[in-house]
Amino acid sequence: MRLLRLISWQYARRHILRTALTVAGIVLGVAVFVAMRTANQNVLLAFSQTIDRIAGRTQLQVTAGEAGFGEEILEKVQSAPTVRIAVPVIEAVAESGLPGQGTLLVLGVDMTGDRSLREYDLSGGQDATVDDPLVFLAQPDSLIISKDLAEKHHLAVGSRLPLQTALGERPFVVRGIMEPTGLATAFGGSLAVMDVYAAQKMFGRGRTFDRIDVALAPGATVADAERQLTALLGPGFEIQPPATRGRQAEAMLAGYAVMVSVSSAFALFVGMFIIYNSFAIAVTQRRSEIGILRALGATRRQIRWLFLCESAALGAIGSVAGLGLGLLIAHATAATLSGLAANLYGVAQQASEVTTRPGVLALAVFIGVTTSVMAAVIPARNAADVDPVQALQKGRFQVISAQENRTRIRLAGVAAGLSIACMFATERRLLFYAGYAFALAAAVLLAPLLSGRLARALRPVLTSVRPVEGALAADSLIQSPRRTSATVLALMLSVALIVAFAGMARAGYASIVQWMNTTLNPDLVVMPSPRFDLRTTRFPAAMAPEIRALEGVERVQMFRFSRITLNGVPIMAVALEMQSVAQTTRLRRPVAGDIEKMFQLSAAGAGVIVSDNLSRRLKLSLGDTLDIPAPYGTIRLPVVGIIVDYSDQQGAVLLDRTVFVEHWHDDSVSDIRVFVARGADIATVRQRIIDRYAGKRRLFVLTSEQSRSYVLNIANQWFGLMYVQVAVAVFVAILGIVNTLTVSITDRRRELGVLQAVGALRRQIRRTIWLEALAVGAIGVLLGCALGAVNLYYVLDIVQRDVAGLRFDYEYPVTTILAIVPVILGAAFAAAIWPAEAALRLPLVEALEHE
Amino acid sequence: MHAAGPPVDARAIVQEAQKRGRASSQRYEGLLQTFEAQGKTSEKRWIYERLGSYGASKVIIRFTAPPEVRGVTLLIVNHPDKASDQWMWTPALERDRRIALQDRSTRFFGTDFSFEDLEERDVDQFDYKLLGEEAVDGAMCWSIQSTPKLSRFSQYTRVINWIRKDTYAWTRIDSYVKDDVVRRLEHRDLRNLQGIWTALQTTMTDLRRGSITRLALDKVEYNVPLREEDFTVEALRRK
Repeated sequence: MRLLRLISWQYARRHILRTALTVAGIVLGVAVFVAMRTANQNVLLAFSQTIDRIAGRTQLQVTAGEAGFGEEILEKVQSAPTVRIAVPVIEAVAESGLPGQGTLLVLGVDMTGDRSLREYDLSGGQDATVDDPLVFLAQPDSLIISKDLAEKHHLAVGSRLPLQTALGERPFVVRGIMEPTGLATAFGGSLAVMDVYAAQKMFGRGRTFDRIDVALAPGATVADAERQLTALLGPGFEIQPPATRGRQAEAMLAGYAVMVSVSSAFALFVGMFIIYNSFAIAVTQRRSEIGILRALGATRRQIRWLFLCESAALGAIGSVAGLGLGLLIAHATAATLSGLAANLYGVAQQASEVTTRPGVLALAVFIGVTTSVMAAVIPARNAADVDPVQALQKGRFQVISAQENRTRIRLAGVAAGLSIACMFATERRLLFYAGYAFALAAAVLLAPLLSGRLARALRPVLTSVRPVEGALAADSLIQSPRRTSATVLALMLSVALIVAFAGMARAGYASIVQWMNTTLNPDLVVMPSPRFDLRTTRFPAAMAPEIRALEGVERVQMFRFSRITLNGVPIMAVALEMQSVAQTTRLRRPVAGDIEKMFQLSAAGAGVIVSDNLSRRLKLSLGDTLDIPAPYGTIRLPVVGIIVDYSDQQGAVLLDRTVFVEHWHDDSVSDIRVFVARGADIATVRQRIIDRYAGKRRLFVLTSEQSRSYVLNIANQWFGLMYVQVAVAVFVAILGIVNTLTVSITDRRRELGVLQAVGALRRQIRRTIWLEALAVGAIGVLLGCALGAVNLYYVLDIVQRDVAGLRFDYEYPVTTILAIVPVILGAAFAAAIWPAEAALRLPLVEALEHE
Repeated sequence: MHAAGPPVDARAIVQEAQKRGRASSQRYEGLLQTFEAQGKTSEKRWIYERLGSYGASKVIIRFTAPPEVRGVTLLIVNHPDKASDQWMWTPALERDRRIALQDRSTRFFGTDFSFEDLEERDVDQFDYKLLGEEAVDGAMCWSIQSTPKLSRFSQYTRVINWIRKDTYAWTRIDSYVKDDVVRRLEHRDLRNLQGIWTALQTTMTDLRRGSITRLALDKVEYNVPLREEDFTVEALRRK
């Protein structure tokens, strides 16, 4: 501690800017880590609280995917001896006609039994009104709303509240207001309760329920009831405690969490190089100081500990600052993540109060300090190895010996070899990530050698720009490969990260556009809600022939999307009219299978088509038999085709509509796709559809362009986050280059003083530094672009296997890179200005005495 | 408090009381008034029809007022050995629904009766004990305690029935949860109608909530011609 205070603290005070820039790397890495973990956790916490509040005293929930099941299942569940109470529930998301309110979650319940499960803490003595289920049940326009909602919109008992239903806008009557406790606090109060049978009618559910909430008989255990109900209902039903529903949210956010972890790891990795560079330079600058300490009796171990403790202290300061910054970012990000998780319920989760678990903060500090210490290990070892006699020999440090170069090449060769070897076993997750790490290690090991070679290659270019300054700049880079390579490494890694994220966003966008062109090709899409992801309102099947009968309509196709659980994974079941779709699809190249055959077999109910991401997730191949649990019997069909499909992140199974109707006893429709007859005007047909259902049914008729732009808007939500990551990477790159260049130019004051002493003009020195900085920037960008190509390959694979499960085509983001190059070079140039001026302002004598 | 009397079989008294109330059918017009502790009142009118009697009866309750519940019809099928089955017809939705009557302690549509209070119970489901004799509203009554043989049969730990010695008509029923009386049912204005002693005024007091529900019977008729086929779910839909 004494050495730290006497030596390290004094040194840090003298080099305050360098110290600050060094710490900045850790700050950023820790901040990204804390921000994303905290935001993620808060969204999940808000979601699980919502589940708890809605579930009330429910111990088990019986579901059969989103499609629901027939009413007769309720009696079966009620008959189980382990069940005390079983009540049906429908959940629907409805747009309210209240200004500024948006959507409400409408919970359809059976009030005769539901009060045994959920608390309806009714305010203002209205208990008698709502407690009389007779009035509530007799009037299908009855609603109970939360007090928050009532106060926000000045609603009282008896007020009218318009809601968009499958039957169009309907005025509901507020018949009860719940105090802001329990159920009423879910979704921040954006919740309304109505009769389950009225909800069936209003939201086009036929005679089905979404789920049954169960309270157990005294003495019965959850396991007993699960077993009994599974035996009673069959495998098509899921019988789980309410908390299990949180898994879906976790699954949705897990992918994003992986990307954020990669981003955070890269930021820390770059931070590590910044620290390494700073410490390496510090060791060089303090060689005489170290020599004196050693001469005074300090052991090698003490010197090593001195530097390691210094780095740990910097790591701790950076981590603490990172925690603060991270929490600020978490506030901003939680809202975005809430929006992403919103489609689980259709109503955004409220994660306005950001709280962090102490464990996350402790982990962040640990990571920050460890990274910092790890970065200082080699400089600390070098410092400990300083020979007191050689301590005054300057400059030797910057040289990389031929032996070291050979070792680096050998090690890089081994790492590259291992990385390639791992590519043959990418099915194993560990080996895949090991291969990625080996590829990065090879790049890091080769960076000094390559930056030296590139510096040599750049020499003629630099001398052609300014003969004297160019030569000086190039020689400086060539003769100090260690110093050069530290800057280059930091930049290389950052640019590689930019390439990966930009490439992923570009590839994703291009792939989705291509997918839409092949599959989303009807002239009009008729939907019961303005959002594709709101599947709680549906059309009756009878609408399809009605639309088909309209003048100008050539073909209609009924589509049904329903989330189901397959092998524990929540996936999308897409029920469609295969025979008709086969005639309109532009799909030509499936991932596996024959196009004609796959549609033929699936249309005959003799097979299913699965999305590429599902096939990978469940390791499915052509011909494999898939067991899809459904409420009315398990569907056991072979996989007859694998196609690229972006319907769902978790995967999709496409089956013929008849198979779905048979096994779910539900023929309702999510959307109807309309193909207009040749010569007919699309706008006219669209208007005919709207007129046909005016006042009878609520519908949205989207043109082809509108539906495509809708899908792209959703995709852009995700890609927007990618661009945030790109922005972080650019910031890291700029920080890296500013830091390393500032440090290295400051370090060379003596060398610059010598140049002045031998007659170099100030403007020549200034230009030399500028050219040098630009050259370092160019080398870093060049190597970064090369490493980025490899990085993009791995990141696309990570996206496919651990993030979105979606296969995106490899496409190098040339445009982004072209846009980034001037930014990076500009940053390099800007980073050189101030240290160059500072070095030149230093009196010659003082400069020569520097160090 | 209890006067001494000859040894009498409590179960036989209850059985006789049930027997004397038996009719092949019954019809009346009812007025149901609920008075909440906070002073709030509500009122419903219905037409009540019952086919059969104790243990195996079928009941149709057709609500006639207030306007928001008019047309709502309740079909109750009582069983001697288990909880009744109930269906409801809602005209505004034009559909019937089965009432999930799992928690029989639930209040009957906002009144002070619980669903269990309205059920007809078989004598064999309870153990009886004669506590003594006592005057209620000036008439001597047997005081009989009934305890469910299986606790899951009832929300109540025990019930004390007061049955008039002269007419075998119930005058008061106190229902206990553990040691506390939670509900008190009182029959008033007893009239002999077609040979059956009928209380034209019934009051249920929820002693925990402090609220009272009064049921007034009018136009009571027994053994009226009612058709079996009108007491089905299909009939609810037809009407």
